[in-house]
Amino acid sequence: MNWPLLSMQNYNQHDAIVTGIGITSSIGQGKIDFSNALLQGQGRFGVMQRVGRQAPALDQTQVESNYSTAFLGAEIPKLVIPESIPHSLLRTASFSSQAALATLHEAWNEAQLDCFDRERIGLIIGGSNFQQRELVNTHQNYQHNINFLRPTYAMSFMDSDLCGLCTEVFGIKGFAYTLGGASASGQVAIIQAIEAVKSGKVDVCIAVGALMDLSYWECQGFRTIGAMGSDRFANEPELACRPFDANRDGFIYGESCGVVIVENSNSAKRTGVTPYARLSGWGMSMDCNRNPNPSFDGEVNVIQKALSVAKVKPSEIDYINPHGTGSGLGDITELKAIQHCALNHAYINATKSIIGHGLSAAGAVEMIAILLQMRAQKLHPTRNLDDPMESGYNWVRQNSIAHQIKNAINMSMGFGGMNTAICVQQL
Amino acid sequence: MKHEEIFDIIVRHTCEVIPALQDHHFQEDDSLRDLGANSIDRSEIVMMTLESLSLNIPLILIARAQNIGELATIIHAKL
Repeated sequence: MNWPLLSMQNYNQHDAIVTGIGITSSIGQGKIDFSNALLQGQGRFGVMQRVGRQAPALDQTQVESNYSTAFLGAEIPKLVIPESIPHSLLRTASFSSQAALATLHEAWNEAQLDCFDRERIGLIIGGSNFQQRELVNTHQNYQHNINFLRPTYAMSFMDSDLCGLCTEVFGIKGFAYTLGGASASGQVAIIQAIEAVKSGKVDVCIAVGALMDLSYWECQGFRTIGAMGSDRFANEPELACRPFDANRDGFIYGESCGVVIVENSNSAKRTGVTPYARLSGWGMSMDCNRNPNPSFDGEVNVIQKALSVAKVKPSEIDYINPHGTGSGLGDITELKAIQHCALNHAYINATKSIIGHGLSAAGAVEMIAILLQMRAQKLHPTRNLDDPMESGYNWVRQNSIAHQIKNAINMSMGFGGMNTAICVQQL
Repeated sequence: MKHEEIFDIIVRHTCEVIPALQDHHFQEDDSLRDLGANSIDRSEIVMMTLESLSLNIPLILIARAQNIGELATIIHAKL
């Protein structure tokens, strides 16, 4: 892939600029493989195989009634860990932590952060309770031998263990914390990173969308609450993930982790670094609603907030990367919000149709999808969008199309009435 | 089980916890601390060893071991 050179003139000293990204997903580890697969619309869905992802063997009654509890999803085929990450740490690092370390390594090197005063670098990890499968497997292994439970469990069961691992490996000293924003976690982390940089708290802030490592317990919970598909496509996993399609029946999970390096525009001008884009506007709003249902008003609110902060008119937005999970009510609500905000002229595709729903990672991973499409000057297709649920939108369907993104908007929503949006502007 | 076999189990788990010691020639008087094992590493090595032997004893009993040989001796006495 050829990366076009970007103009370095269109900066404001208070801008929040992205200077590095890292990505690990089912369709590729590293931005080049990921981008190529994304633009070709190559999904990798199937019955999930990772230990702890499927409920224990069906009993005879269920077998006889042909009832299947197999959960569908898109899993990372092979996680490659860079040699520079100490092996002694990996033994007790969860799968989520290993994915984050590998992904941060890519972003760190691209942004060349070794040259920074480590006191001026912060780390925000988007996600909470993201090591569930690891915990379930540990509990299962030691339920009859609890006296032999490994002492390091006392550290590793906490999500904040990832803060410790990342700061130890990369020498980050500014600050580090995890935050929970359900499926908006990745985007909340980016918003917090923008604000940390713009306030001057740090010069560089790393936002991680942590890999949500679901166990079969969470999969079952998502199924029973009606959020996760797919009864309809149980025997055709490759067809199950279909955001905005008339035949969607819920989100399909996908493992992913994304890292976005945000820094102020002064430091972003340094030699050897090619910034991606400006994070020009953002908004976050709560619905005052503990439940998982979406809110039209909440979504409209954050879209308008983000546009206002970015000082961008709706007509100037030329690409939308929506939350677009494939849920029945969520997709409808989001399209209504987009229309209400006069954005339905803009191109729209659904990254989740290709990689599945990364939950805590989604907001960061989809931001990365925007930035890579911006560089490639192409928009990726939307898999399985055979019968769009609504007309009047500028869908990118079967094939990628050539398009130079100038202003994009990215939305995330989470259980508990969370809404976020970020505007992204070409430099 | 012989003392030497327990020693070998401790060595195996020590190398799992600290991969950099894979090529180290372990001696009875090697101290885990001196080999670079911090307190968490040492407790992991001990627990992994006890699990391998299915030996359920209070950890306080082995706290007085000064080196790997002494650790093997204490564990051997409890089998």
